[in-house]
Amino acid sequence: MVKITLDGITKKFGNFTALDNITLEIEDKEFMALLGPSGSGKSTLLYTIAGIYKPTSGRIYFDEKDVTEVPPKDRNVGLVFQNWALYPHMRVFKNIAFPLELKKAPREEIEKKVKEVAKMLHIDHLLDRYPWQLSGGQQQRVAIARALVKEPDVLLLDEPLSNLDALLRLEVRAELKRLQKELGITAVYVTHDQAEALAMADRIAIIREGKILQVGEPDEVYYKPMYKFVAGFLGSPPMNFVEAEVEGEVLKIYQSRIPVPGQYKDIVKKLNITEVLFGFRPHDAEIVREEREGIKGEVYSFEPLGREQIVTVAVDTDVFVKVFAPEGEHFRFGEKVTVVPNEERIVLFDKKTEKALEYL
Amino acid sequence: MKDVETRPKKGEWIIVLTILFASLPLILGFALLIISSFSRDMVTDLSLDSFRPTIENWINVFQGRLAITGGIRQNILKITLNTLVVALGVSGIVTLISTLAGYSLSRMKFRGRKLMMLLLLMLHAFPGVALIVGVYLLYRLTFPQEPSFVRLYSFFYVILARAALEIPMSVWLMKGFFDTIPWEFEWSGIIDGASRIRVWRQIMLPLIKPGILAVALFGFLAGWQDLIYVRTFLIDQTLATFIEANIEAEYSHMPLIAAAGTLYLLPTIMFFLTAQQLLLQGYSGGIKG
Repeated sequence: MVKITLDGITKKFGNFTALDNITLEIEDKEFMALLGPSGSGKSTLLYTIAGIYKPTSGRIYFDEKDVTEVPPKDRNVGLVFQNWALYPHMRVFKNIAFPLELKKAPREEIEKKVKEVAKMLHIDHLLDRYPWQLSGGQQQRVAIARALVKEPDVLLLDEPLSNLDALLRLEVRAELKRLQKELGITAVYVTHDQAEALAMADRIAIIREGKILQVGEPDEVYYKPMYKFVAGFLGSPPMNFVEAEVEGEVLKIYQSRIPVPGQYKDIVKKLNITEVLFGFRPHDAEIVREEREGIKGEVYSFEPLGREQIVTVAVDTDVFVKVFAPEGEHFRFGEKVTVVPNEERIVLFDKKTEKALEYL
Repeated sequence: MKDVETRPKKGEWIIVLTILFASLPLILGFALLIISSFSRDMVTDLSLDSFRPTIENWINVFQGRLAITGGIRQNILKITLNTLVVALGVSGIVTLISTLAGYSLSRMKFRGRKLMMLLLLMLHAFPGVALIVGVYLLYRLTFPQEPSFVRLYSFFYVILARAALEIPMSVWLMKGFFDTIPWEFEWSGIIDGASRIRVWRQIMLPLIKPGILAVALFGFLAGWQDLIYVRTFLIDQTLATFIEANIEAEYSHMPLIAAAGTLYLLPTIMFFLTAQQLLLQGYSGGIKG
């Protein structure tokens, strides 16, 4: 139940810079997701908050208190590891009780608290088992219980769902979000799964190569991506990008021409930019057969998914865009179609810096 | 029909047969020793004529009688106890030091860590016999003046010296075991408020139980079997030196020595019968596969 402030955190391992001047504020009771590909430094950042890694430079504050030099045990954080790190030689009860035993809490209090947290996570019938006697989902709950039992100010989670199978993951996802809000605990959640981040977090910080690219609410990072990387990382399938040339008020996209979207008219004029990346999400476009203003191409492939289908359209040789189409619509391979993006949802990126034009 | 990977390979029996044939002299030797210990005379060939069963040898061994005629007696129980003291002492010291040193070599950064590991490997390759002059010099230099300490001191010294020979290998072995344990276990303990030493004792040690048992057993066997160091430094006898001393004595009754030899071999045989499961045994669960 603290606000976490990271002020210019840099972490180097030898010559390798894992974290590069990261500044981030995580509000009290907020659920913050650190999202990035593997090797981006998101776990390093989490472990730096926990105190396992000491930043090479920069300060960490919990509320107003500078905790940069405070050892992990005195930071009052709970950490759930990706592999859960349950002690295999201890029963579930002992696993959960371990942090309290280290604090030399009285026996009755330990018993009471362990039972409480076990009940909350629906594992109170498993306390006598060993970790290897539990299913993946149950082990994961034990790991969360162990992190929560000492009533930490901050809950840190390092890809806690990545070892669960897909269905269970969806279930735990909803539950974890609910739990965090019920407890009113500040949570930092590391994941490489964009769907998890979008579904659970209050705000998402997208990290690449040790730098934060964008921080914002799920809606904001999804619809107003600051970088091509952010747009290409979020969504499944991610945003489509095609190269476009600006000719006055018209965008030339291979054989097609469409007007510059309204929201970009002034920006394009002001920046006097000629080469852009044209981005739109697969859900924010439709495929039509009649003559319309849009991106012309032919159907390369289509994948029915039940309620809808993903159609891959070849705009040029080796240039493809993916668009969702309603179920029941029939396509033929090689059929000539036009992709009409929803104008309001189009994002234009500078080709060189790959930054969205409105953020330039 | 068996699964592909468990199906015996073609011609596997040839390999098994070859191995069996190659180890035949050894197996035969041990077999003759054990058979002889239950016989009135030594069984030295495969004919059963010389085998006249008796358990007299074993009775004599435990009564400490070295010759059938009875005159010379030695307390074999005390000798076995001596052997046990040396073996357990070596085992204990080796286990304690190698679990601590293995942990720090595996987990901590300090100056000279790489050099130390290199030296350990070199030390392991160094034969104990080659060191004995120096080790003896040290023994003489530290030898106590007070006569009542002398025997105790010789035990102390032989245990220490023999353990020192085992330690390089054991430290490497333990380092390997610690290396297999993911950092998360340790981090988890540290975040929950445990000190490094507590993490080592309460989390790490239970996780590498098979390794500890292996090192302890190797240490035990080293102490139990050792001849040269015990012979040089220990004032009392152990089974090894006892057998060695009596094997060519005129008065000794060979089947009796065979019984003592079998007794001496017992831990080794037991170890190799049980070690495989022990070393393969490991924890699973609580951590992803």
